[in-house]
Amino acid sequence: MARLIVLGGGVAGHTTATFAAKWLGSEHEVVVVTPNAKWNWIPSNIWVGVGQMTKEEVTFDLAPVYAKAGISYYQAKAVSLNPEGSESSDKPFVTIEYTSTDKAGQSENIEYDYIVNATGPKLNFGATPGLGEGSELGEHTVSVCTADHAVHASEKLAEAIEKMKGGTRQKFLIGTGHGMCTCQGAAFEYIFNIENEIRKAGVRDMADMKWISNESFLGDFGMGGLHMKVGGYVVSSKLFAESLYAERNIEWLIGAHVSKVETGKIEYELLDGSTGEEEFDFSMLIPPFAGVGLKAYDKTGTDITDTVFAPNGFMKVDANYAAGAYENWKASDWPRTYQNPTYKNMFAAGIAFAPPHLISKPMKSPNGTPINPTPPRTGMPSGIIGKAVAHSVCDLMTKGENAHLHEASMAEMGAACVASAGKGVFTGTAAAMTVYPVVPDFEKYPGTGRDTDYTFGEIGLAGHWIKHILHFLFIYKAKLNPGWTLIPE
Amino acid sequence: MIREIIKHPAPLSVEYATDVRVFDDKLFALIEDLKDTINENNLDALSAYQIGNYYNVIVVKNDKGELIEMMNPRLISHNGIIVTQESTAYYPDKNATIQRFENISVVFQDRKGNDASIQASGEFAVRIQRKIDYTFGATFIHKMSKEEKEKFEKSLQNGINSSNADYCPTTFHRDKILKFINIVMLIMLLPLLASFFIENIQILQTMWMYELYIAYGVLFLQIVYFFYAQYEGKLNIACDSCQLGNIVAVTAISLGKLAVIVVASYFLLHVT
Repeated sequence: MARLIVLGGGVAGHTTATFAAKWLGSEHEVVVVTPNAKWNWIPSNIWVGVGQMTKEEVTFDLAPVYAKAGISYYQAKAVSLNPEGSESSDKPFVTIEYTSTDKAGQSENIEYDYIVNATGPKLNFGATPGLGEGSELGEHTVSVCTADHAVHASEKLAEAIEKMKGGTRQKFLIGTGHGMCTCQGAAFEYIFNIENEIRKAGVRDMADMKWISNESFLGDFGMGGLHMKVGGYVVSSKLFAESLYAERNIEWLIGAHVSKVETGKIEYELLDGSTGEEEFDFSMLIPPFAGVGLKAYDKTGTDITDTVFAPNGFMKVDANYAAGAYENWKASDWPRTYQNPTYKNMFAAGIAFAPPHLISKPMKSPNGTPINPTPPRTGMPSGIIGKAVAHSVCDLMTKGENAHLHEASMAEMGAACVASAGKGVFTGTAAAMTVYPVVPDFEKYPGTGRDTDYTFGEIGLAGHWIKHILHFLFIYKAKLNPGWTLIPE
Repeated sequence: MIREIIKHPAPLSVEYATDVRVFDDKLFALIEDLKDTINENNLDALSAYQIGNYYNVIVVKNDKGELIEMMNPRLISHNGIIVTQESTAYYPDKNATIQRFENISVVFQDRKGNDASIQASGEFAVRIQRKIDYTFGATFIHKMSKEEKEKFEKSLQNGINSSNADYCPTTFHRDKILKFINIVMLIMLLPLLASFFIENIQILQTMWMYELYIAYGVLFLQIVYFFYAQYEGKLNIACDSCQLGNIVAVTAISLGKLAVIVVASYFLLHVT
């Protein structure tokens, strides 16, 4: 009997672990190590953040689900990897530190045959002075990155709405809190959901709303933008976003690196080198992501973190990290199997793998500050990669070391994204978009880098319904209810 | 070299928005072509997209009349709003009222690939905004208000979407008829489902009767679709004969679906 350990229980980790457990049956052991007791459908945190859903609606307890699937579950965080084992044993192991209340702080080594790193990101609030400390959110702004953050955000939003009802104008500043952020889509959803809520509350005229982000054009979304077929036309997401911001009367400032956050005020630097300040009464700024800080040691105990992980803390996989300057970047630089090049029994899935380079154009201010979105690896791509990695690992475990590895390159993978712009059974709107491939391939598709026949978008009520149905569908799937394997990633 | 400017009704390409990554002789030649074309046509700005090139390159005259070259331009901040009367080379001899930002800050790269930025106001700012729109595949139509857009469309012989001149469109009015037919057929499935829970023969008979009436209605709509679709196709000179095959196939599939529903209804509802 071999053992597979999956680090992390988010979209990628949960997908990998549950499929692996199903395919491997009782022949082999699947272990999940995740610091959280609950699974969270993160896309719906937006609706928690505006008080339209409760924390309970977007989370569920992991333990009963893993018990049902026959997965061994450790509520703990991974601290370090020893891919060569120790001086006394060749068996690789991971050191974990429990986070459950009964064993909090205790450490343990768990041996493995295969390991999948799907830890997701560290929310690096500490990268911007005043935004927070380390991975802890600061006092000046709110966040929707976790369900608890979203609950806090909804309380602050309710306070702001009350102030506006009392006749005090409020300034809302939403976007990214650092020049190297990803996840612009979440902030995009949040600003439009807030706009929708305050309109419903009848106080829209009391609110000044502003978007601030590190994108070099509106609608970049960290993917270099996309070009959607809308009613026979091919429209750039830039035009699509600009008309939406104008329609909803939301101001915008882009190419911005937030350099400091204080009470009611941020300082920023723009791509043109200028600096400025922006005041706010309510602000949600997405933090940059970093690797969770896993360490790696060889047999003798020497630190080999640099061999296994990229400088940003994400795990190295079969990507071309030596692509060099922007002009040399190719779609083929992107990883296909997500296998670590040094240790073949290690894989990474979802946000945890180190991308070879950006998708958007790299940009920096004259002062040398990089201001560009980093590549999104969440949602549908995370699920698809998680499943492909599960396939590969299962084949390696059942067919032997020479088994063919399954591939899921983001440069050959399409993705669907439904971005909510307001919740309501009859008044809701969402932009439903599909994009193929996620990473543009300029050699195959000259011009936009994508196949415009498979890249399209619509905004409307139907999109909102799809988004709401997906909420139930994905939670149903994650709970491993009957027929869960039939629901796509 | 003077290049030909794409003009309405020729459709603009769906290939655009590629950032310049290599700053070489090919790029310099493109910039020179843009300048030559601007001078020849007495223009104040031109985007590479307008001469059929998908790279993000624009050349814009500043207030002193100098031609400013910008690679990969991005408008990052703005303030003030102005309303201007604009014309563009893509729609010769046409004007439209457009709302623009009065003051803008733009970052771009020069011909050596060095990062640069520029602050522009008034006319110069408007020109840059118009050209940046082109690099994202858009003409000033995308910046028009709904009313202005309708007015502008009426002023064009072939409509905003030049499809009927040069290529067969991908969406038609006839699709709405088909959508309606499909919705009605979906509704026709409801009595079939209900029949599993209803035992009263009289109710089933009544349902069968209505099912039959609706089926006649759908059949009528299918005939309307078949003929209207062909009429609509002939309005677009670029739609070739292969669309007739498409219309026949779509009608046949729709008829097939209706037949299946009627037969199923007969067995499930027509109980004597």
